[in-house]
Formats: sequence, structure tokens, C-alpha cells
Amino acid sequence: MPASGPHPALASDPARRRSLVGLTPLIDVVFILLVFFMLASSFADWRTIRLKPPVPTAGGGGLAGAMLIEVDADGGLRLSGVPTTLEEIGARIEPLLGRRPDLRVVVKPAADTPLQPVVSLLDRLNAAGVTDMTFIHGGD
Amino acid sequence: MRARMPSLHRRRPPGNGDERILPLINVVFLLLIFFMLAGRLAASDPFEVEPPASASDGPAADGELELLIGPDGELALDGMVIERKGLDEAIALRLAEAPAVKARIKADSGAAAVDVLDMLERLNAAGIEELLLVTRAGAS
Repeated sequence: MPASGPHPALASDPARRRSLVGLTPLIDVVFILLVFFMLASSFADWRTIRLKPPVPTAGGGGLAGAMLIEVDADGGLRLSGVPTTLEEIGARIEPLLGRRPDLRVVVKPAADTPLQPVVSLLDRLNAAGVTDMTFIHGGD
Repeated sequence: MRARMPSLHRRRPPGNGDERILPLINVVFLLLIFFMLAGRLAASDPFEVEPPASASDGPAADGELELLIGPDGELALDGMVIERKGLDEAIALRLAEAPAVKARIKADSGAAAVDVLDMLERLNAAGIEELLLVTRAGAS
């Protein structure tokens, strides 16, 4: 067939085509890319909490009538000085919020308190519907 | 029975090695595309930080500035370890380079809560208005 040039002959010849582009290097590269993306990508499910900066302890004028919750270094909680639990705080605060929706809650962590109990307390207060939550510095 | 086994093997489509590993390559490509799309590429932190668990559902917003607080109070600003003494200068320098109004604090669940509050105060004093605390999804 003189009409068909060299190109159809190339395309129809599988042995010749394979010799042009090897499959093995391609697979190597794809494997390397796969391993890279598997190791480098993270699937962690991060969330965030919006925080207000703490108010200075000295200017306590706005804290009148607020509810004080202290968090001890071992995670123990004290509501207005009385030892309590997370559940009790929720049960105490919910009826109060019904009467005073703008109830201000002040959280005061002790000097060595880790972050986790404080965040758990924030969760509970959020679930109870507290909108005005402030930190104050403890320990000093 | 024994006579039938070879005939089963022979029923495989005839082809050389290249064509027999095509399904494997397909799977590897799919895995590659999955990891490329589903994973999130992020620079790894200079030290191990395990954010506190929280039920909060705030978006995993990417703050313009990220402050890392390690379990023993190590600090890192945007992935660079910094000394506690030079923190204010580092924040001011960073904000002078690229102004930011939103900061993300990624603190370890064992970091001192008072320390985290202190950092909130400092960032706020430096002019950052929106402060987000990174948490890990999960019951606290």
C-alpha cells in the first residue's frame, strides 16, 4: 500500500511503539509520587474555638455579678469557691441563663492547669448557651 | 482435578508482562489521585503538638499567623522556633512584614492554660483581633 505513509505503519506495530515509551519508568515515577503524597498529606480533623483575650485582673469593674469558675491544676473545678463537677456546672448555669441570658462567666485557670480541662469547660459552657465568657489570669 | 488446573491458568488473556500489570497501574493511579485530592499538604511542626479534644465545630480556618505552644512551653511562630524573650519582637517583625488580623494558636493539650492566655494577651496587644484556638475533633 503506497498510500499509507510511515505513520500508520508505526501506530499499528505494537512492538515498535513499546520500544518508544517504556512503561516501567512511568510506574516508578507514579509509585514515588504515591508514596510522597501518602507520607506528606495529613488527614487530621482540626477545628477551632474563637477566644477573647483575658481581661486584666486589676480592672475588675466589669466582673460584678459574674459567675466565677476556677480550674485547678489537677482539673478540679470550683464554682464561686465551692468544688463541683462539669455536669453540676451545666445544671446550675442553664436555669440561671434562662433568667439572665447575658450572664457573664469568668474562667480562672490556676497556674499549672493544663489546657485540656479548660477546653472541656469551655465546651460545656458553650453547650449550656453561655455567650459572655471571659478569662482572667490566675496564680498571681 | 489435577488435569484441569493448567487449563485454568492458560485461560488468562495472552499478553506480555506490560499488559498484565496494567490493572496494578490503574489502582496505583487511583490511589495517587485520592491522596492528592483528599490529603492536605502542610508543613510539619518543629515539635510535637497535640491540640486538646473539643466538641466545638468552628471551621478549621487558616489564620494568617500561627503560634505553636508545645507541652513544655516551647514556642514557634509560623513554624520557626523562637525564644520566649524575643516573642514580642518576633510578632512585631512578622506583622510588619505582612499585616494580619487573624491568628491561630495551636497549643498542646498539656500546655499551661495560663501560658496560652498570656499568649492570647500578647497577640491581642500586638494588634490581632481574631484569635482562634486549634482543637482536635472528639469528645472531651
